[in-house]
Amino acid sequence: MPEVLVVDDSKVMRDMVVACLRPYPGLGFTHASSGLEAIERLSLNPYDLLVLDLNMPDIGGIEVVEFVRGQDRLRQLPIIIVTTRGDEASRARALSAGADRFMTKPFTPDAILSEAKRLLEEKRA
Amino acid sequence: MTASVDLADFLPAYLAEVEELLDSAHRHLLAVEASARRGAAHPKSVRELFRALHTIKGLSAMVDVEPIVSIAHWMETSLRQADQAGGRLPESSVEPLLEGLRAVEQRIRQLAAGKPAAPVPAGLAERLESLEPAGATQGSAAAAPRLLDEEKALASRLGPAEREQLSLGATGGKRAVRLDFIPGADRAARGLTINSVREQVAALGDLVKVIPVAGPTPGGGSLTFALLLLTDATDTVLLDAAGGEPASVVSLSRPAPPAAPASAPSTEGSAEPLEEEPEEARRAGGTLRVEVSRLDEALERLAALVVNRSRLQRAVADLTAAGAPTRELRAILQENGRQLRDMRAAVLRLRMVRVGDMLERLPLLVRGLRRSTGKAVRLELDVGDTELDKAVADRLLPALVHLVRNAVDHALESPEERRAADKAPEGRVRLACHARASGWVDLTVEDDGRGVDAAAVARRAGVAQVPSTGDALLELLCRPGFSTREEVTSTSGRGMGMDIVRRIVVDQLGGELHLDTRPGAGSTFLLRVPLTITLLDAIVFECAGLRYAVAVGSVEELFEVEPGRVVRPAGSQGVALVERRGAAVPLLPLARLLGRAADDGAPPRGLLVRQRGELVAFGVDRLLGQQEIVLRPLEDPLVRVPGVAGATDLGDGRPTLVLDLAALGAARRSGAGGREERAS
Repeated sequence: MPEVLVVDDSKVMRDMVVACLRPYPGLGFTHASSGLEAIERLSLNPYDLLVLDLNMPDIGGIEVVEFVRGQDRLRQLPIIIVTTRGDEASRARALSAGADRFMTKPFTPDAILSEAKRLLEEKRA
Repeated sequence: MTASVDLADFLPAYLAEVEELLDSAHRHLLAVEASARRGAAHPKSVRELFRALHTIKGLSAMVDVEPIVSIAHWMETSLRQADQAGGRLPESSVEPLLEGLRAVEQRIRQLAAGKPAAPVPAGLAERLESLEPAGATQGSAAAAPRLLDEEKALASRLGPAEREQLSLGATGGKRAVRLDFIPGADRAARGLTINSVREQVAALGDLVKVIPVAGPTPGGGSLTFALLLLTDATDTVLLDAAGGEPASVVSLSRPAPPAAPASAPSTEGSAEPLEEEPEEARRAGGTLRVEVSRLDEALERLAALVVNRSRLQRAVADLTAAGAPTRELRAILQENGRQLRDMRAAVLRLRMVRVGDMLERLPLLVRGLRRSTGKAVRLELDVGDTELDKAVADRLLPALVHLVRNAVDHALESPEERRAADKAPEGRVRLACHARASGWVDLTVEDDGRGVDAAAVARRAGVAQVPSTGDALLELLCRPGFSTREEVTSTSGRGMGMDIVRRIVVDQLGGELHLDTRPGAGSTFLLRVPLTITLLDAIVFECAGLRYAVAVGSVEELFEVEPGRVVRPAGSQGVALVERRGAAVPLLPLARLLGRAADDGAPPRGLLVRQRGELVAFGVDRLLGQQEIVLRPLEDPLVRVPGVAGATDLGDGRPTLVLDLAALGAARRSGAGGREERAS
């Protein structure tokens, strides 16, 4: 069963992301409320998709992306950034650090679901 | 495969989270203001404030509340400038930012009431936009310390403010250390995670930054968290907080430790300041927000179980009396009782809120009063981790707000008056709280102001005798007609609206209120309230043919009234006295107080109660036993009567009044008008 790690310091936002992705059949979900917690979970368990906020306590999403891409084991992990920071500089930084998709809040449930679907299916292929 | 989720369904959860974020924002804005007054920066609070607004903005966008998105956006923009100025905010910025928070709060209330959020208030965006950042932190770039030179791989991942913090902290007498925590599956299974370690370590000093470092670890893992902190704690204590070995501690001011593994990714110069700064552990971590209505629902279900158990108990007793073999049934009933008690404790724990959280807005209140009165005031909160049932907390808060407001408005002198009285120009209001055994909590609201002028109060109240004790003085202050007159309070020092405070503490919560005051030195109010008012152990008794219940905790003693030991001394206006604990205690026939009998004959049983410090006995006909009850407050003001705490169902479907004997006695003893007065 594909497992998604949803990282955001807002619980309501994590719940929203999970609700948006739930129509994808057979997905499992793990929550993390900070970048550090996300890195810890990533080092201990395998995941198939990372949905990540940028602005969080401890360390931000960009640092998490950089950490992930610095690990051989995690180099192929698909990453979707979901952020309130819609500026071009943030988008460029996230993508150059190694994120696969960059979505600005508010996003629609359909939009994030189809991005997740595409990434999971690319990974499977 | 299309998503059928409607994000509007998240509105209730959104409202709850935004309220929490607003609390955090208020707290940090006040901290920033306090620093600004001293001319200092407060980068951490500026960042927290920014983050709260940023999250509010994102969430509001998701549920499509455009006015809040706009307000949060403007506030966020001005805070970003403050952050870039090293966490400095001029004092003049605080008011527009508070206005912004109030505007968000107002719209949250509108949404909660099912109304649409009002548009952005006129001029607010302009006021926020025109805020100027204060001067940048002096010499932060120059302060890049030699301290961390040896830890180059780590030092490169610190922002200038963090380097400065480590450097200044170390020169300020604290040790700068690196504590390495190595996570692992076995450790996670024991609850030892970066979140728990972070929280423990944050309590031991200033946690400046946590840096994840990839590479082989002593335990065979591939990840180390380097926690950089300033602390006075010993290495042993720090290691303990990180779960012991393979954790390790290195002092950053000592000669170089081995360099961090080269595989650590570098983020030098890439991250924006707002994303790379350290944070306090968030209190919400590892907790679950639940709507109050769901907790109430759980309590309702529990109440139904408690009532049903009483019926079951009665049915088993009837069967036993009829000679049926009920041994096993009684054993099951006993076990069921134990399980129900455990369940009750669990549900009550769910409903507990921290007193500290309840009081989060008090600093804001005092700030407003400071501005409106021109007085210098320091608010001290010493409430620890004490918790109260949500229902008690909700009722108590207005009383505490009232007392603190009174303290600042009326009790504290102006800085000039204080100087003239040889006091520090800054007044002090202190709110302390601690839980007592047996389900009660004590709260004190103390000031170092002028104290209550007992003679002035007596004069105003038209009482010839000046009260000689604090509680006697409180009686006068709590007279409703007395306290509504402003000019009285300015002479009395602490009178305003005290009837409201007493109504909440004594009548609604069944607690106690006391006053201790010293002229010229200040006053202390003691509020003693029960931890919970919804589920309680009660003594059930019969009086004039009806059943009543009282909380076990409110009764000091049950006793048999021996008619030979009841006396009616001359001059006691017919009040009987009974000897208890070596003293003559008034014995009040409850049936008469309840207007159900005119007979003055001594009833066979007595309940000894403490009423405003004095012992009083209430005579009743028969004790029926002790049981757990669910208290249903009488909300309708037409049926709310002093001395009646609420009603309950003892399991037979008949409503039973739950009495508050202390309040009942006090109301009746205050004379013919007592009832009307207290019920108003």
